[in-house]
Amino acid sequence: MTQRQSIEDFLYDEAALLDRPDLDRWMTLFTADGFYWMPAVEDQVDPLNHISHVYDDRVMMEIRRRNFVHPRASSKDHRIRCSHVIGNVRLIQEHDDGSLEVGSNQHVVVDYRDEQRVYAYRGIHLLHPDGDTFLIKSKRVNLINPEAPQRSLIVYL
Amino acid sequence: MTMIPDRNFDHLVQPTRLHRDLYIDPELFELEMSRIWGQAWIFIGHESQIPEPGDYFTTNIDHKTPVVMIRDTDGSIKVLHNRCGHKGARLVVERQGKVRGAFNCSYHGWRFRFDGSLLAVPNEKGYADTGFDSSDPCYGMRPLAQVDHYRGFVFATLSEKAPALLDWMGGARDCFDNLCDRAPEGEVEVAGGVTRYEHQCNWKFILENLNDTMHPMVVHQSVVQAAKQFISTLPEDAVQQRSEAEIIPPFGASYETFENSGITGFNYGHHYDGGKTSIHADYSVMPEYHEAMVAAYGEERTREIYAFNTHNVCFYPSLTIKCAVQNIRVIRPIAVDRFIVETWSFRLKGAPDAMLQRTLLYSRLINSAMGMVGPDDLEVYRRAQEGHQSPAGEWIEFHRGYGTDQQLDDRIVGGGTSDLDMRTQYRAWKDYMQGAIFDGVDQ
Repeated sequence: MTQRQSIEDFLYDEAALLDRPDLDRWMTLFTADGFYWMPAVEDQVDPLNHISHVYDDRVMMEIRRRNFVHPRASSKDHRIRCSHVIGNVRLIQEHDDGSLEVGSNQHVVVDYRDEQRVYAYRGIHLLHPDGDTFLIKSKRVNLINPEAPQRSLIVYL
Repeated sequence: MTMIPDRNFDHLVQPTRLHRDLYIDPELFELEMSRIWGQAWIFIGHESQIPEPGDYFTTNIDHKTPVVMIRDTDGSIKVLHNRCGHKGARLVVERQGKVRGAFNCSYHGWRFRFDGSLLAVPNEKGYADTGFDSSDPCYGMRPLAQVDHYRGFVFATLSEKAPALLDWMGGARDCFDNLCDRAPEGEVEVAGGVTRYEHQCNWKFILENLNDTMHPMVVHQSVVQAAKQFISTLPEDAVQQRSEAEIIPPFGASYETFENSGITGFNYGHHYDGGKTSIHADYSVMPEYHEAMVAAYGEERTREIYAFNTHNVCFYPSLTIKCAVQNIRVIRPIAVDRFIVETWSFRLKGAPDAMLQRTLLYSRLINSAMGMVGPDDLEVYRRAQEGHQSPAGEWIEFHRGYGTDQQLDDRIVGGGTSDLDMRTQYRAWKDYMQGAIFDGVDQ
C-alpha cells in the first residue's frame, strides 16, 4: 500500500466515526497532546489571542464527548447524522519527527433538527505514524465561511 | 413611526404576564423596530476599532438600516447613514476598513467627507439652473439623530428626543466603569475578533435569559455534570487540566447562590444580576494581573474594583456586557423569528496577555455557536418559539417575587431568583411601544 493510500484510509476511517457520530472512539485517534482547531477567520495564526469556533485539547474533548451523550442535554435531544466526502488528499510536508502534514478538502452534510446543512472546509491534519496507522497530533478545519454567522453545531466536523 | 395601527399594549403586557404575540407577530416586530430600536440608544461599536481618521466600522442600527461609524479628521467619531445622497446606494460594504480621502460612491462617483457632507459631484455643470443645491444636507450622508460614547463605547439613536446617553444609562453605567477600571490603564480595547451566532427565534429571548437565574441548573446541568465527572477522574497533580475544566461548573450554581446575588433594574429596561457577588466571583486572580492593578490603583481600590461583581448587565435592547469576563454580546435583530448574537472580547490595557486569553476561552466555550453552553440556551428559546405557536395558552407568566421588588431612588432591587428583570424590561417595552417614552424628558 502506498503512503497516500494509508493516509486516505485513515481519513476515511476518521470520517466514518464522525458520520455516526461516535465521539468516544473518535477521540482515541488523537495523541495525548493532540488538539482540534476550527479558526474563526481565514489564515488565523493564533488560537489563543484570537477567538476560534473550536479549539479543543483533550480536556475539552473529554467534556464535550460526555455532554454529547448526556440524557439532559437538550440541544442533543435531536438526531444528528453527518456525511463526509473527502477529496484532494495530498501530503503537504513530512516533518523531521516523522509526522505528516496532510491536506484535504471535505464537504460535510449535517442533518440536525430536521434541517440539512452543508459545511465545506480545507482540512490540515498533522498525523503521527503509529504502527501501521496514525494518531492525530492536530486537526485544523478551515471553513470556507468562518466569518459568517454560524448556527448551533454540536459535533466536530 | 410606521402606519401600522396601534395595538392595546396594556393588554399585551400586564404586571405579571405577557402575550405570546410578542414573539410571533411579524407586524409587532416591525413596530418594535421603529419604536424600540428606532428610539433607544443602540450600541454601534468601540472607539478602539477606528483609531485613525478614515477608519470605519459598519453595522445595522435595527433590522435593516445600514450605518457606518467613522473617525473624522478632527479625531471625533461620526455615525452616518451608510447611504449615498444621490441615488441611495450603500457606500461601504466591508464590515470594517479605511476610507482614503473621502467616501466614494461606486455608482456615479459622488464623494462625501467623513462628516457626511457632500464633497464633489462629477460633471456638476449638468445641474446648473436646475434648482439642485449641493449644500443641502439631504444630498449628503445623513448623520444619525444623536451620537455619543462613554468610556469608548459608541452608541447612536434615531431619535431626536432621546435623553443624553448618560441619563439613559442611569445607574447601570457603573458597569462600564467597572469593566474599564478592571484595566490597570483604565481603558479597554476590542481584541481577538468577533463570532456571530444565528438564533432562529425572537430577539427578546436572550435578554430574558440573561438574568433568568432559574434556568442554569436545568439547561446547563449536562455540561456541568460532564465537566465535574471528568474532573473527578483527574489525578491530584493534574493542575492544568483541572483549572481548564473549572470554567464550566459555575453554570450549575445553586438556587441559593443565585438568590443571594440579587437583581437590580433601572429605567428604560436596563438590569443586571450580581453586584456584591455573582457566579463569576470565584475566578482566581492571576498574580501578575493583580500586581499591575495594585501598582495602578493601590490595594484598597483594587479590592473595591474586584468586589463589584456582576454576571450579566443588559443595556436594553442591544447590548449585554460581562464586566468580570471582559466580553460583550451585541443583539442584531433580523426578523420576528431570527436574530444574530455577536460576541466581542476586550483586552484590559496594561494587563498580561493571559487575561485576554481567558476572555477568549470564555467567549469560545460559553457564548459561541459551537460552545457548550450557548447551544443549550438557544435550544430552549427555540422550543419556546415553537410552543408560542400553540393557541392552547396565550400567556407567558412572570410572577416570581412580584410584590417584593424594592423601589429605591434610581433603581429597583430584589432577590436574585425573582422575575424583577422581566418586569423591568417589559415596563420599558410598553413605554417604548406606546410611543411617548421620551416626551417630557429633559434633553
